[in-house]
Amino acid sequence: MLSRAARPALRAAVAAPARVAAAPSTAAGYATLREIEGRLKSIRNIEKITNTMKVVASTKLTRAQRAMDTSRNYGQTSNEVFEAAETKVPETEQKKSLVIVCSSDKGLCGGIHSGLSRRTRRLIAEEGDHDLVIVGEKAKAQLSRSNANNIQLSFAGIGKDVPTFADAQAIADQISLLPTEYTDVKILYNKFINATSYEATFIEAFSEEAILASPNFSAFEVEDEVIGNLREYSLANSLYWALAEGHACEQSARRNAMDNASKNAGEMIGKYQILYNRTRQAVITGELVEIITGATASADM
Amino acid sequence: MTAVWKAAGLTYNRYLAIAARAARRSLKEDKRIIAERRGETDLKFSKWQNGKAGEAQNLEKANTAAMAESAS
Repeated sequence: MLSRAARPALRAAVAAPARVAAAPSTAAGYATLREIEGRLKSIRNIEKITNTMKVVASTKLTRAQRAMDTSRNYGQTSNEVFEAAETKVPETEQKKSLVIVCSSDKGLCGGIHSGLSRRTRRLIAEEGDHDLVIVGEKAKAQLSRSNANNIQLSFAGIGKDVPTFADAQAIADQISLLPTEYTDVKILYNKFINATSYEATFIEAFSEEAILASPNFSAFEVEDEVIGNLREYSLANSLYWALAEGHACEQSARRNAMDNASKNAGEMIGKYQILYNRTRQAVITGELVEIITGATASADM
Repeated sequence: MTAVWKAAGLTYNRYLAIAARAARRSLKEDKRIIAERRGETDLKFSKWQNGKAGEAQNLEKANTAAMAESAS
């Protein structure tokens, strides 16, 4: 009788010094202390990382926004010509359209890339086939799954830093070297509405015929030869605008995403801390109960 | 009469880029370093055919090569 009753007490006494390191099996059904501790630690690390990414994104955002503001002037000024000339996309039977999707290479910024891909897919579903030129790895990965046959060119390496005009020019050159003559070219980019919202939007870039056919173009009195130059240059301008604005959107989206991630991690840390404390308390109480029962049992004898 | 750069096979954008590069290089040392960073590109691209991506190439080199070809 004695030996049986004293056994748990003995075991508890032996286990007591090692208690903190390894939780005894009394807390069956609960996660052990060590497991909770490990999880807490990893969540803390994740919070640190997301927080750092947020800080980096916010500093980049201010630069990106400044670049966006200046680039907007470029794009809008070059579009003023077409507005004054009332250029429209010609209504022809044989339409050959090109869509340039401006995303970037990096993820972890919410749904801005998938927003662009979704808009592209909707456009293709509504208006039939378009050829695609894709800037950025993310949109390429998404669209190559559904519309691989439409893709003509893809560019990578954008989005590391604020896009430069030289980037836009090089892309515009490569696009104008494409073998097919397109009747209209659309640039799809994320329009920056405010720090938390953006919208996938199109900019029109016109073909030479469209520029020539526009009603008020003769008012500018330019020779026909240079219209090709104008078209190439305005494509580069619009592309630069789209890239810079898309970049600003991406940074602000990343800032928000990382902000939310840090907040969620903070919440999780709170919950796990409480769970950890409770479990530790339960383990201690359980051991105390064992010791006391053992002590009383042996005192009775 | 066509311009000389057109005859050399350059596009207008390329012509502008070269002119801008020349202008940047003629700046003073401190300003030039800042300005030259605006002219850098490091893009790669690949051509797609029938839903398959071609080999990734350096954009700058490919542009130069394509224009040299159209020069003749």
